[in-house]
This record gives sequence, structure tokens and C-alpha cells, in this order.
Amino acid sequence: MLRLILRRLALGLLTVALVSAMIFAAVEALPGDACTAILQRDASGQRLDNCRRELGIDRPALPRYLEWAAGAVRGDLGVSAHNGKPISTLVGDRLKNTLLLAACSLALGVPLAIGLGILTGLRRDGAADIAISTATIFAMTIPEFVSATVLIFVFSIWLGWVPGIVTASASSPASAFFPGIVLPMVVLTMVMTAHILRTVRSSVIEVLASDYVQMAILKGVPYRRLVLRHVLPNALLPAINVIALTIAWLLGGVVVVEKVFNYPGLGNYMIDSISDRDLPVVQAIALILAAVYVGVNLAADMLGMLLNPRFRTLRSRAR
Amino acid sequence: MKKLLCTLAIAALSATSIAHAQPKGTLRISHEIGFGDASSLDPSSRGRVFQVTDKLMSRLVRPGLDGKPAPDLAASWSANATATEWTFKLRANVKFHDGKALTADDVVYTLRRIQDPKTDSPVRPLIAMITEIDAVDATTVRMKLGQPFADLPLQLTDYRLMIIPKDSGDTIKTTGIGTGPFKLERFDPRGTSVLVANDAYFEGAPKVARIEVIGISDAQARVQALLGGQIDILPGMTRQQRTLLERSNRHKVQRIDTGNWRGIVFKSDSKPFDDARVRKALRMAVDRPAMLALAAGADGGVVGCDTPVGPQDQYRATQQSCPRDVAGAKALLAQAGFPNGIDIEVLTSTVEAVWPTIAEAYQQQVAEAGIRVKITQVPTDGYWNQVWRKRDVVMTRWNDRPADSALNEIYRGGATWNESFFNDPKFDALLDAARRELDFDKRKALYVQAQDYLWEHGATLVAYHVTDNVGSTTRVQDLDAVETFTIRWHLVRVTD
Repeated sequence: MLRLILRRLALGLLTVALVSAMIFAAVEALPGDACTAILQRDASGQRLDNCRRELGIDRPALPRYLEWAAGAVRGDLGVSAHNGKPISTLVGDRLKNTLLLAACSLALGVPLAIGLGILTGLRRDGAADIAISTATIFAMTIPEFVSATVLIFVFSIWLGWVPGIVTASASSPASAFFPGIVLPMVVLTMVMTAHILRTVRSSVIEVLASDYVQMAILKGVPYRRLVLRHVLPNALLPAINVIALTIAWLLGGVVVVEKVFNYPGLGNYMIDSISDRDLPVVQAIALILAAVYVGVNLAADMLGMLLNPRFRTLRSRAR
Repeated sequence: MKKLLCTLAIAALSATSIAHAQPKGTLRISHEIGFGDASSLDPSSRGRVFQVTDKLMSRLVRPGLDGKPAPDLAASWSANATATEWTFKLRANVKFHDGKALTADDVVYTLRRIQDPKTDSPVRPLIAMITEIDAVDATTVRMKLGQPFADLPLQLTDYRLMIIPKDSGDTIKTTGIGTGPFKLERFDPRGTSVLVANDAYFEGAPKVARIEVIGISDAQARVQALLGGQIDILPGMTRQQRTLLERSNRHKVQRIDTGNWRGIVFKSDSKPFDDARVRKALRMAVDRPAMLALAAGADGGVVGCDTPVGPQDQYRATQQSCPRDVAGAKALLAQAGFPNGIDIEVLTSTVEAVWPTIAEAYQQQVAEAGIRVKITQVPTDGYWNQVWRKRDVVMTRWNDRPADSALNEIYRGGATWNESFFNDPKFDALLDAARRELDFDKRKALYVQAQDYLWEHGATLVAYHVTDNVGSTTRVQDLDAVETFTIRWHLVRVTD
């Protein structure tokens, strides 16, 4: 078990390192650099040379990457190319905000999705199942920027219940993001519900058809006890991996939602930094996102193994 | 004009009726975080957030509603007979937000700091003609110029030439101390910056108690914020958004002629654009009203004959007409040795959303004159330093600037930003003559002549000058219907 964890951890670190190298290469390959982004029309001649020397981007890419990587290993992410502030503070604020949005969305979306998943699984092919399944699939397939715009139009512009965009700055305390956070939360919930719901639904159906549930039914176990004791614990296991993926997606992949609602999170900052060619910041965020993906997936796998002894034995036997 | 007079009359009436009212209410506006973490309150720096600085600070001279220079910190000014020495008399009893009195030393310090190459201010070229700045006494500033410059006061109305306290160069980027109608409470470029009324403002206390300037980088999000009532004023709205606002009973729209223009520039030092006949042919085959209608809607801008001077500018040439002339273009091309027409490649990008449309309209319109256009779309990244001024035919855009700046910065031989590499001593001589001329009418005639000269010889197609749509909520009152740097923010009111 320990060997397995260590092996997965090593693979995870390798993935993170590869991602950082790829991101560096990709940003380097874009036309223009931090100085052309700052100077715009003035980007020429002496002024451009001075700027490049100041930011240290007149040197070749490889030594710059190695230097940065060495710093990152020591936990030093460097300073922003634009204002010289430490990246850990700049990124830290955004990470906090993204975590807040993710936590709120999960708190709303996961119980909702699991509840609906169980309901539709138990009422398979009934009117409720068809209605809920169709509705969530619709909610998932509508692109976020469309649902966001529609929600803003209805609830912010038309009804005026909640603000349409977030006006708090990145370093504001969590309370400053309410009620502006409500709409982005709802949009994210709309997108993630279907995935979790469908996984829970199919595993409920599967478990309902299993021998031990049939046995329990024949034994005369009451319905409520049957569902709570025999079906749910076994049916929820597969949902863990989907929820883990959802968490990873919430932490890194909600760029569009953050942009539309002007939410000062990690995704929004990433886009700004790419257009500013603020390489150190882009690198730091990419590193954090990669680490989050690897970490969350690893945690989900471990959790699955802990909860389900079969996973462990099967894998160790196969080795 | 009638509209303007009406606005003026209403502004005057309401100003007298509530002259003694306390500042009240909060006005909320936005900015696009264009400078990211480089955002600054130093008005003459590259990262200046003008939406904040133009309310905190004052210039020596401000643009009046009629486009002519009007007193701001300078109460009056005069020049010697050759327009090489200027004396500015400062307004008395003006105080900075930190309580210090404004003196001539502050003015001298501010302008010298901008001129210092070490400051590396983008505004430096604007006042490069000033060779000496001195304080004669506490309220008098004298400037000596290296060459005659009759429109110096107009030049000093630039929104980046705000006066800051003496020796505040290192701190101004965060303190924002000025003499303007509002004081800084908090500067937060990515979040909400807060300004509060300066009761000691020299033209009287402002009408609103508080201004919030909210950073919203996404254009769509800004529109949603206006529609949802989270911000009160939003310039630069599109045609479609304007329609939306006009239907809403909670919003209104102002239409403002601006000096902002979009166009196509030909590199006049490379073949075949080094021939003035070719350059004129390339421009005269264009149907300007049709191009405007396609790009921005028939009332989305104002067309002229390739003058960079805006329709609201007092020096704008208006007597020319330039209807589409395909036969004339063909004849000129034939004279220049291209009887079978020419092939050109236009490089465009979405740096400006409307560029691709203009390029396509151009391609269609000039085809008949034998000008075969190939359009190449290039990435927005690095456009200004790898494409613009490097390739032969590229798209361009410029923001509002006074006639003299527009003509000198973009067209004078050897100027840093001379994008067409137009280099004609006759044209430069006209500009010099205009700068020497202290009589307004004669000066205007010279500037108009320079614009005529561009129509005949220039290498820049000015497609149109943008008419801006300024959206606002109905709670905003007494907002001057002029471009943003001319608005008198202390007169704006909000009602609730």
C-alpha cells in the first residue's frame, strides 16, 4: 500500500514538472513578450532593450527556465515581472477566492447531484427520472457563458435580486463576495450536476440489480433500510472519482465563468497574466493547477481504496 | 450644437438652483484594468488609470466645452509676439488634498519631471518644445520655447499633464494627491477604488459625495454591470448595445463625436507607395459612407477626406469632398505606370474589433479600380511591434488628440510615430507656419491647408472618426455631453 502511494506520488511530481516545462515553452512560443505587452506602440529600440534587460528576458529561455525551476523547488515562486510583488501573495489571494467559489459550488452542487442521482436511480424510467435527467443534461450542455448571461439577464437586470458581476477586489475578505458569488455558484452547479448525477444514478441501478440486494429484498428488509444500508454505501463509491474530477475542474477550469462575472480568481488572473506575458505568474499558476489536478486525483484514488478493500487486493494481486 | 446649448442651459440652471447643496450620493464608473499590475496614479506614467486621476487632479489649462482652451489651474496666460515665451498666471488660493497651497514651484516641478528622460514618461514628446520652465513668483510660471508654438495652451490640456505637488514624484503613484474635485480614499485597480468629494475644490464642492471606480476587464461584464445598475456610466458602447439602452427606461445614451479614428496605412517609403499618385488612387476609390455603414453603422461615425483631425476639433478641414472616384483612381494608377492595376496585401488583426470589417469593405470597394487586395489576418499579440510600421499595408487606430498633435505626431517627417513614413518638407513647413501664427483665423487656414495636402499626397486612409455611445443610468444628471477628458466631474449629480 505504501509503495503504491509513493509510486503514484512520484508519477504525480513528474507530471507537474512536465506541465511546467510545456507551459514555459508554450508562452515563449507566443509572439511578443512582457515588454511588448507593457510598451505597446512604444516597443522599439532602446526603450525595448532597456525593458527587456530590466525584466531579465534578454537572456536565452533555457537558463531562465532552469533558474525558475530551481527556485520553485525551494518553494520560491519568484516575483511578478510587472510590479515586483511576490507571486505567492498575488496568487495566494486568487487561490483563496477560487477555493471559496469552489467550496460554495460544491456545497450546493454535490448534495443536490447525489440526492437527485439516488432519486432518479430508485425511480428509474419514471416520470421524475426522465424529467430530472433531461433537465440536468440540458443544464450541462448549455455553455457556461450562455447560462451565465441568461442568469444575469433574468436575476440581475430584470428582477434585480442579485448583482450581475463581482466588484470586490482580490484581497477582500470572503464576506465581500456575497451576494455577488451567488450567480457564478449557480452556473457552476448547473454544469457539474449532470456528471455526478449520472454516475450515482447508474451505480444505484447497478447495485439494485446485484445479488445481495435481491437477497435482502427476498429476506424482507424494509425499503428504507434496504436503501440506506445496502444500496447507498455501495452506490456512492464510484461518485468519489467524479467528485474529485469536479473539484479539480472547479479549481482550474472555470476561467470563462470567472471572466464573465469579473470574479477575481485564479482562472481570471491566469488569462490576464498571459496577455501581460507575466511569465513567472503564468508558470506559478500552471504549477498550482497541475499540482491540484494530480493531488485531487491521487486523494480520490486513495479514498476509494480505503473505502473499498477490493481495489487494494485486486491491484496488489495483479502485481 | 442646439443640443449642446440645451445641455449647457440645463446645467447652468440646475447649477444655480442647487448651488449650496451638500454633496450626496455615489457615482459608480468602471475602467478596463488595461495596465494590470502596472496600474498607477502617476498621471504622466504609462500605467495611469485616467478614470481616477482625471477626478483627483487638475491641469494648467483644460479643454473648454467649445474645444478651445479654458482656465483650470492657470487663470490666464499670454505670449510674446513670436509665440516663443509664455506666461501663465495661476489661480489664487488653490490647495492640494494634503492642505498645501499650490504654487508655481509645483507646476515647474511637474513639467520638468515629465521632461526628465529618466522619468521615461510617454508624454515627454508632447511638451518637448518647452526648453525652459521657471517660477517668476509664487503664482506666475514662464515657459520659453525652442520654436514658436501658438497653441501651447491647447497642448497643455492633455489629460496626462496633471499638476502634482512638488517632490511627490516617488509617491504620487499611490497617493494620487492633486487639486481636483475628488480626493483619494482607496486605490485598488483590480477591485474598487474609492474617491470622496473635496469640499475645498476651487470651483466649488462637487455634487456627488463619492465616486467608485470599479475595475472590470471583460467588455461584456462591463455592459452587464451597467444594465444591472452596478455602474452608472459606460462609454464605448456598440451599436447593438445602444439600441438595448434606448429601449430601457432605466438608461439613456449620449452620442459624442470624438477624434478617435480607424484606418489603413500605406508605407510611403516602399514601392509602389512612394508614388503620390498611387497613394491617392488607393484612397479615392473608397466609398467612405458605405465603409462607415458597414463598419459602425451609418451614424456610428463621421467621415472626412483622410484628415486625422476630429470632427469636433476647431481646426478640422470641412470644405473638401471626396466621393468615390473609380475612373480617377484608374487614371492615376495608369499614369503611375500601372495600367493593369496593382496587387497589395493588407494585414489586419482583431486588436481593434472593427479592423477586419474595414479591410473587407476596402477589398470590395477598390477591386473595381484594379486594386487587388489580399487580406491577411495576423495575431493580436505583438501587432504593434512586429506588424505596424514594419509591413507595407496595415490597419491602424488613433485616439483623440488636438489637431497639432495629430498632424505632427503621425505625419511629420521623422516623427517617432509616423506610421506611414510620410516625409514631405512642404507639409512640415505648413505645420511650422501654423505654430508660428498667433492669429486664430490665419492659423486655422494653415492647419486646413495641411489637411488638404494630406488628402492630395498622404499615405493614410482615415476611414472614419468614431461617434461614441456613452451609456448611463437615469440617476446620472448634468453629465456634460463631451468627450471624457472635457467632462466637468464636479457638476455631475446622481438622484435616487
